[in-house]
Amino acid sequence: MLSRAVLSTVATAAPCVKNAALLGPGVLQATRIFHTGQPSQAPVPPLPEYGGKVRHGLIPEEFFQFLYPKTGVTGPYVLGTGLILYFLSKEIYVVTPETISAVSTIGLLVYVVKKYGASIGEFADKLNEQKIAQLEEAKQASMKYIQDAINLEKSQQALVQKRHYLFDVQRNNIAMALEVTYRDRLHRVYREVKNRLDYQIAVQNMMRRKEQEHMINWVEKHVVQSISAQQE
Amino acid sequence: MASVVCVFCFSVPMKEKKLMDVKIGELPKWILMRDFTPKGIAGAFQRGYYRYYNKYVNVKKGSVAGVSMVLAAYVLFNYCRSYKELKHERRRKYH
Repeated sequence: MLSRAVLSTVATAAPCVKNAALLGPGVLQATRIFHTGQPSQAPVPPLPEYGGKVRHGLIPEEFFQFLYPKTGVTGPYVLGTGLILYFLSKEIYVVTPETISAVSTIGLLVYVVKKYGASIGEFADKLNEQKIAQLEEAKQASMKYIQDAINLEKSQQALVQKRHYLFDVQRNNIAMALEVTYRDRLHRVYREVKNRLDYQIAVQNMMRRKEQEHMINWVEKHVVQSISAQQE
Repeated sequence: MASVVCVFCFSVPMKEKKLMDVKIGELPKWILMRDFTPKGIAGAFQRGYYRYYNKYVNVKKGSVAGVSMVLAAYVLFNYCRSYKELKHERRRKYH
């Protein structure tokens, strides 16, 4: 019976709210299946523009149409006049002091309505329009926000296709870093080897120099010795 | 209800006819068929209220008629209620 009520009455109401309300706290109704039918997709019919037509503010137009085939246009007015005269003459309506106050009140009301009715109507219409404009603005803002979110999401999805650029750049960077370290180490190796070889050369040079100096000193010493030996 | 059964083939059964479609002779039968439980009566009041409201008040450009008809009916109702006391204020006794 509940499911029938749900299907037949408020098919367009928020289904999740109804569901949450029906599921009590902690009670999981796994056997009941709600909303098995199609919800009605028809939009809510708009408010009618004007109300039912009423003549003189008191008698609906349907009454005049009801009497028109039999009595024509003046029928209801003749009926009204006859009824009024009947009530007055038989004193079903009694003329009391209240009658005068009623007549003056009604006259004042009719005057006010006739004079200011249209402007009050326009004022009310303007208020309504403002309310609707506000709601429309809120709706448009919400739609725009959602549309922007959708666009952002789409652009981010498009970016996914361009991820490979990032990875290419990173790969290039890594390759360059590897190359640089390789060359740096090569250079270091070269420098070290050159250092060692320079050392060997320097050692050899130094040995030669030392030998030369030693020989020169030895020769000088012997020459001086021999000269001094010769002088004696 | 034989009348209902034989009528059903050609037109709407009795229970769902509107008041304007019921013939005078069938009126007592139709009235007795209505739902007189409290729920039915409340439903009738609700339906009547919403019929009037949606026709004359709940529109974009309503007029004074929506309110004035209710006030006129109220005035009439109170006049009928107080007629018994007003009878004594008549200007002539015999009409």
